Amino acid sequence: MLGFRFFKNAILYVILFFGVTIAVIPFLYMFSTSLKDQIYVFEIPPKFIPEAPTIQNYVAAWGASNFKLYFSNSLIVAVSTVILVVLFSSMLAYVFARYRFPGNSILFYSLLITLMIPSIVYLIPEFILIKKLHLLDSLIGLILIYTSSQLPMFTFLLKGFFAEIPRELEDAAKIDGCNMVRIYWQIMLPLARPALATVCIFSFLFSWDEFVVALTMINDVNKRTLPVALMMFQGQYFTKWGLVFAASIIAILPMIAIFIIFQRHFVKGIATSGLKG
Amino acid sequence: MKKIIFWLIITIFTLSLTLIGTAEEEVTITFWHTYNVESNEYITLKDVIIPKFEEENPNITVVEQQIPYGDFHTKLVTSIAGEIVPDVVRMDIIWVPEFAEMGALASVDSYGSFSTIAEQVFPGPLNTCKWGDSYFGLPLTTNTRILFWNKAMFEEAGIEGPPTTWDEFAGAAEKLTKPGEKWGLAIGDCSPWNFLPWIWSGGGDVTDEGITTATGYINGEDSVNAIQFIVDLFNKGYIADTIIGGGIGMQDGYANDVYGMFPGGPWFYGMIGGQFPNAEINTSLWPAGKGGSVSVIGGEDLVIFEGSENKEAAYKFVEFMVSEETQLILAETGQIPVLNTIAESDYIKNHAFYPIYLEQLKTAKARTVHPGWQRMDAAIKLGIEEAIHGVKTVQEALDGVANEINAIIEEYK
Amino acid sequence: MKKMRNKKKLFLEIYRNKHIYLFILVPMALFLTFVLYPICRSFFMSFYDWKIIGSSTFVGFKNYINAFNDPILNISWRNTIIYCLATVPGQMIFAMTAAILLNQKIKGRIFFRTLYFLPVVTSWVVVSFIFMYLFNSQAGLINYILKDILHITKQYYAWLSNGKSALFIIALLGIWKGIGWSMVIFLAGLQGIPEELYEAARIDGASQARLFWKITIPLMRSTLVYVLVMLIIGSFQVFISVYIMTDGGPMHQTEVVLTWLYTNAFSYLRFGYGSAIAVLMTVFIFIISIMQIKLLSKPVEY
Repeated sequence: MLGFRFFKNAILYVILFFGVTIAVIPFLYMFSTSLKDQIYVFEIPPKFIPEAPTIQNYVAAWGASNFKLYFSNSLIVAVSTVILVVLFSSMLAYVFARYRFPGNSILFYSLLITLMIPSIVYLIPEFILIKKLHLLDSLIGLILIYTSSQLPMFTFLLKGFFAEIPRELEDAAKIDGCNMVRIYWQIMLPLARPALATVCIFSFLFSWDEFVVALTMINDVNKRTLPVALMMFQGQYFTKWGLVFAASIIAILPMIAIFIIFQRHFVKGIATSGLKG
Repeated sequence: MKKIIFWLIITIFTLSLTLIGTAEEEVTITFWHTYNVESNEYITLKDVIIPKFEEENPNITVVEQQIPYGDFHTKLVTSIAGEIVPDVVRMDIIWVPEFAEMGALASVDSYGSFSTIAEQVFPGPLNTCKWGDSYFGLPLTTNTRILFWNKAMFEEAGIEGPPTTWDEFAGAAEKLTKPGEKWGLAIGDCSPWNFLPWIWSGGGDVTDEGITTATGYINGEDSVNAIQFIVDLFNKGYIADTIIGGGIGMQDGYANDVYGMFPGGPWFYGMIGGQFPNAEINTSLWPAGKGGSVSVIGGEDLVIFEGSENKEAAYKFVEFMVSEETQLILAETGQIPVLNTIAESDYIKNHAFYPIYLEQLKTAKARTVHPGWQRMDAAIKLGIEEAIHGVKTVQEALDGVANEINAIIEEYK
Repeated sequence: MKKMRNKKKLFLEIYRNKHIYLFILVPMALFLTFVLYPICRSFFMSFYDWKIIGSSTFVGFKNYINAFNDPILNISWRNTIIYCLATVPGQMIFAMTAAILLNQKIKGRIFFRTLYFLPVVTSWVVVSFIFMYLFNSQAGLINYILKDILHITKQYYAWLSNGKSALFIIALLGIWKGIGWSMVIFLAGLQGIPEELYEAARIDGASQARLFWKITIPLMRSTLVYVLVMLIIGSFQVFISVYIMTDGGPMHQTEVVLTWLYTNAFSYLRFGYGSAIAVLMTVFIFIISIMQIKLLSKPVEY
C-alpha cells in the first residue's frame, strides 16, 4: 500500500514539473533577456544564461520618469475596483440566484449579453460619456468603468456558486427573523469564500492589466497607469527588449503577491462542513 | 456714509480685478507627440526647447504629453470624436490629409508669418501639409531613406564600394549572401515605405499627378519591373526573412554582420550607436534605376486642431518650432531640419552624416497626399506581399492594387 | 379585462419586491450607465455611415449587407472559429488535470499553483512579444532547439510568415496563457465537493475514473458550464496576440474578427461598419452561449 502511494506521488510530481516547465520557459527566457544588454538580445545562437548579466534594465525601468507614479496609480485603481466589484457582483449574484421577482431574467441576461460584445466597439460612446460626466483624466473615472464592466462576468460566476448552496441555512435564518441584508452579509458571503477569492484575483488582474480604456480616458501624464507606461517603452522604430521585459516583470510582482495571498482560500472545510450539520 | 464707502471699496476692488484681467491672458496649450521618453529628442524637447519657448512667451504654458506610437492614430480619432483635442500635434506627414479632410485641423495659411515661413522650408515636406487649397500645418522635421551598407561584409565578399546601379545592387546582394548565415539585403516589410523608392527609382509611380487614377501607374511597366526586381532577389534567397515577418531587427543584423545592406534613416545612428558602439556605419545613395535615385520622404508636420481654443498661442508654438534656433537644436538630436537656410549652413555641411540625406532629399518624393492613403498603403502592401509570397504574379498583384486604389479615389470624390 | 388584472398583478409584484430593487440599485445603475448605454449608442452607430466630425448619414442595413459580402471578414470568421475550437478544449482539459492534481495535499502546492498562474498574470502584450521572440526565425530559442539540439528540422522555420503555422502559434499562445485561469476556477469548484462523497464511493470500491466521471464532473456542472461559456466568449474576442504577432497577416491569412474590426474602425474610420461587425459577432456568440447553458445546465441533486 505504501509503495503504491509513493509511486503515485512520484508520477504526480513528474507530470506537475513537466507542466510547470512548459508554463515557465517563456518566463525564464523573458527573465534572462531582462538581464541582457541589447547587444545580446538577438545573438545567435540564443543563450538562456546571459553572458554578461546586468541589472541595468531593472534600474532603468524603475527609475524611468514617473514609473513609480504609474505603479501607484495602477495600484489605487486596481484595489478600489476589486473592493467595489466583490461587493456589487456578490450582491447582484445573490439576488439573481435566490429571489424571484419581475425582471430577474431580463436583468441577468442583459448582464450576460454585454460579455459577448467586444469592448473596443463602444470605446467612443464611452469616451463621450466620460467626458460629459467630467471624469476624464481621473482615476475615479477608470474605477467606475472597470467596476461596471467587470460586473457581468463575476455576477455570472457567483450566481452559479450561490445557486448551489443548499437553502437550509437561509431558511433557518429567515425563521430566526433575519432580513435580506443580514443573510447576504453573514451567511452567503462567508460560504462563498473560495469564489470570492477567485473574484479578487481576477478582478485585480483585469484592472491591473487594462490598457485601451486607460489610454483613451487619461491624457494627463501624472494619472497614467502601468500598462500605458509599458507601451511608452516601445518606440516608433525599435524597442529595447531588455528594458520592456524588466519593466514587465516589475509589473507582474503585485499580481503574484495577490495570487499567493488569496489562493489559500481554496481550502476545503468551512464551506462544506457547515452544510452537513 | 458707511454704505457709500462700502460700495466704493467694492467698485475699486472689482475694477482692479478687471484691470488685472485685461493684462495678457494666461494660456495653456497641450502638445502631443510620440517621442520615446528615454530618448534624446524627448529630453531636449522637455528641458531645452519648451523652457526656451515659455521664456520668450511668458503667458503661454506648454504641456507636452507623450502618446505611445502604436496607438497614436486611435487616440487622435477618439479624441476628435469626443471633442477633447490637443492644441498642437506632431503628426506623421501621411496622416495630415486624412485629418484635414475630415475637418479636424485648422488651416494656418491665414496667419501673418505663414507665407514667409513657407518660402523658407523644403517644398516637398511643405506639400504634405496641403489639402485642397489650404495648408493645415508646417513641417517640423523630415527624413528619407538611403542605403546602409556593411563595409566589413563587402570587403569579405570582395565587392568594391557600395552599388550605385540596380545591376551592381543585384550583384552585391548575391555575393554577400551565405544561405542560413548572412543575407545581402534586409527589408522590414512589404509596405510602400520600403518599396516606393524602388518603384520611383525604376521610373514608376502610384498614381498620376492629379491623383485621378492608378491604372497604368502602379501596375504600369516600370512599377512592375521594379517590384519584379526585388521579387527575383527574394526568390534567389538574397533577402532576409524580415520581409515576411521573421528575422532579427535591421540594426541587430547590420551590426552583427548578418545583413549586408538595408534601407535606413537618420534614426538608426542613435539606435545602432546606443547598442553597438563598435559598429561602423556606411551609407550611400539609393541605387539608381531608370528613374534615377529617388527615395521616399518621411517626417513629421506640426498641426493645430480645429477644436483648439488657443489657436493663436498654438501657432506661436508652431512658429517657434520651425524657427532657425529650434531647428538647429532639433538637428543636433538627429532630426533633419526643414529650413533651407540651415540646409546650406556649415553646421550641416560638416555634420557627420546629414549631407547624404540632404542630397537624397533633393530628389525624394512624398507618398500620395490623399486622405485615403491609409487604405491605399494597405492595398499596396497586400499586393506586394502576394507577389513576394508567389501567390500571384507581380502584374496580377499590381493590377489588383490599381483597382483597389481607383475605388478609394472614387470614394473621396 | 384580463390584461388589466395582469398589469395590476405586475405592479403589485414590483411593489412587494421593492427591497430587492433597492438592494441592487447602485450596481445596476453603474452597469446601465457605463456599459449598457455606450453599447446601445454603438448599436445605433451600425445603422449609420458614422463620421467622427459632422453629421452621419443613415444607411439602414447597408453595413450589414457589406459585412456578408466582405471576403476578408469571412476569413476572419473562419480563423476565429478555428482558434476557438483549438484553444477551448485544450485549456479545459489541461486546466482540469492541473486542478485535480493540485487539489491533493502535496508539498509545494502553492509553488506549483503560482507558477501555473504566471502566464495568466502577464499582460497579453508582453506575452505576445515573448512568443514572437521565442519563435523568431533567425535567433529564436524554439528553432535553435528543434534544429541544432534535437535535430528534428533541417533549417530554421519562419513560424509567423505562413498563415497556417502562424495560426498554430497564436492558438498555442492562447492555450498556454489561459490554462491557469480555468485551473483557478476549477480549484474553487472542487472545494465545493464534500470529501465524504469520495470516501463513501471508495468504500464501495469505485475506481479513480469512476470517481471522476460520476462524482466530480456532475458536481462541477455549473462551474464547467461557466468556464466553457467564458472561454468561448473569450476566444472569440482574441485580439492583442494577433495584432502584435501578425496584424492579421500575411495577406489577411491570420485575420480574426476583432483585428479586422479594429482596422476598419480606427484605421479606415468606418465606425458604422465596425459596429455592425460587432453586432453580428455578439448575436452569434449569444446564440451559442444560450444553447450551451440550456443544454448543459441541470439542477444538481445530492
